[in-house]
Amino acid sequence: MDSLNKGEFKFSNDTYKQDFELLTKALDASLSGIIITDNQQPDNPIIYCNRAFEQITGYKRSEIIGHNCRFLQQEDRDQPVRSKMREAIENGSDLVVDIRNYRKDGTLFWNELYMSPIRDSKGRVNYFIGVQNDITRRKKAEDELKANQVKMERRIEERTNNLRENEEYLSSIVQTVRESLVVLSRDLNVLSVNDHFIRTFKVSREETEGKKLYDLGNGQWNIPELKKLLEQILPTNNPVTDFEVTHDFPHIGRKLMLLNAHRIELEGQYKDRILIAIEDITDRRAIEQRKDDFLSIASHELKTPLTTIKGYVQIINRLTAHYSDEKLKSAVGKTSMYVERLNNLIGELLDVSRIQAGKIELHKEPFDFDQMVREAVEGFSQGSRSYQITISGQTNSNVNGDESHITQVVTNLLSNAVKYSPDHKTIHVHLSVVSDYVKLAVTDQGVGIPRDEQNKIFDRFYRVGDIQQRFPGMGIGLYICAEIIRNHYGTLWVESEPQKGSTFSFTLPMNKSEGGTDAR
Amino acid sequence: MICDDDEGILDLLELVLRDEGYETIPEINSLNVAQIVDREHPDLLLLDLWMPVLSGDQVLRTLRDNPATRELPVIVISASNDGRSIAMNAGATDFVSKPFDLDKLVNQVKNLINGTLD
Repeated sequence: MDSLNKGEFKFSNDTYKQDFELLTKALDASLSGIIITDNQQPDNPIIYCNRAFEQITGYKRSEIIGHNCRFLQQEDRDQPVRSKMREAIENGSDLVVDIRNYRKDGTLFWNELYMSPIRDSKGRVNYFIGVQNDITRRKKAEDELKANQVKMERRIEERTNNLRENEEYLSSIVQTVRESLVVLSRDLNVLSVNDHFIRTFKVSREETEGKKLYDLGNGQWNIPELKKLLEQILPTNNPVTDFEVTHDFPHIGRKLMLLNAHRIELEGQYKDRILIAIEDITDRRAIEQRKDDFLSIASHELKTPLTTIKGYVQIINRLTAHYSDEKLKSAVGKTSMYVERLNNLIGELLDVSRIQAGKIELHKEPFDFDQMVREAVEGFSQGSRSYQITISGQTNSNVNGDESHITQVVTNLLSNAVKYSPDHKTIHVHLSVVSDYVKLAVTDQGVGIPRDEQNKIFDRFYRVGDIQQRFPGMGIGLYICAEIIRNHYGTLWVESEPQKGSTFSFTLPMNKSEGGTDAR
Repeated sequence: MICDDDEGILDLLELVLRDEGYETIPEINSLNVAQIVDREHPDLLLLDLWMPVLSGDQVLRTLRDNPATRELPVIVISASNDGRSIAMNAGATDFVSKPFDLDKLVNQVKNLINGTLD
């Protein structure tokens, strides 16, 4: 186009028609809708529209030319932007607005409208050019974005509230527990402590939080055991539970503290923080000690007169040896039997206390397991003549253990079998070898034990449900038995069905030096 | 010689041992034991462990520290479960736990006294 000269179109008479056609084609090729309105005529009619305007609006040129632009808004006339447009027309100024327009078929499209006035040489606005772009998709995306933003903000607010609630909830738990809690940073600075800590150690929050743990209260936490826990044990054994620390604390004296420590391993801002829960068990331990002492003294004091009684019963036995009075003999025999039973009960009480304290004393020596069982059964039968106790199998093995304690276990299992089989008078004892263990099983046809109680019967002072009324007892026998067997590296267990009976079995490792693995 | 802070035990042991033909010296106060042993030279001492003021193992240690009584056979009798190890550590010759069997105790006494007489 040679009419383009120095950036401006120049029309010459020669090329006027050709140039005009080119420009019209250019306008028709545009993707933006373009119209020209004539402001010199009433109601500013549209005098030109390009093809894109027809396509955007769905109207034909013949339906457009001569109309005012407002037909594009159909019934949607109350749009605030319209006043801006009116102002721009009156003032003859440029304007860009987004306005809701409607196609011929009534569907909405967002129109980004650029209005630009055309002035004559005297500065009067004669025409307006309108450039329209269908921005429905952009608008929709913007709206969605905005809606999402609002939704997101609401969600963030909810989460924040949630977090705040959680935090408050957690913090109230932390402040309420009757245990001292400390949070340490990776380099052992105290980040926070709970109220119980403040009260227990008689310190203030100010002199505690933000300080190095070992520097607290003139180094009262600079405890070798604690250092070992934090610097050696915790890094490889996380978490650490029930770690005992004894220490002389400045304000509160010598205390035994039980520590649980947990290093946070979860990746994130809290990683490698260390939580320590501290429980003062000084009093509890002292009470336990007093209880153990009491049991120990009580059993000792009870055994002393019992020794004398037992001795005199033996003397009476001797004195009456040549008497033929069966009643007297039976009375003396029963007396000595019950003295023995009383002695066993006292022994059991003491055993519980010793087992609790972990002070069970075992004198291990190899002994003949089968013979021990035979003697125990024989001895027990003396006192329970109405019961028939049978033995089957054999181990032909020696066991390295405390014979008197193992005898105690066998006797206890037998006496339980008798006690809980009031209507069935047969008890069966079976001996066997399994792998490198000897096994003993005591089977009765008694009242049995419900499944959910079967594990608890080995607990201290536990008695099965309604058993207490019908069968009085202290509930310590099986606990002691299990502990004795455990201390011999064996296991004690039960298989039972209510109303059918129970089988209590235990295993003990065979004495290796005996080479008894292929016995039987 | 017999030392126990319980009179019942003392009486019982005296009765039984006299029946077996032994002479007995009963003593209820452990503080007097060393002195009496020094004076009477018993063949054997039956000694309780858990006694007020001076415990059996303390008495035993004193006896073992004295060359004159170092070899005296001492049977410690106790109702305490730690009794055996305490007694043996203090130098007891033998240990019997309470309540004891009279026949077994008498046998132990016989063995020890005959052993020293041989």
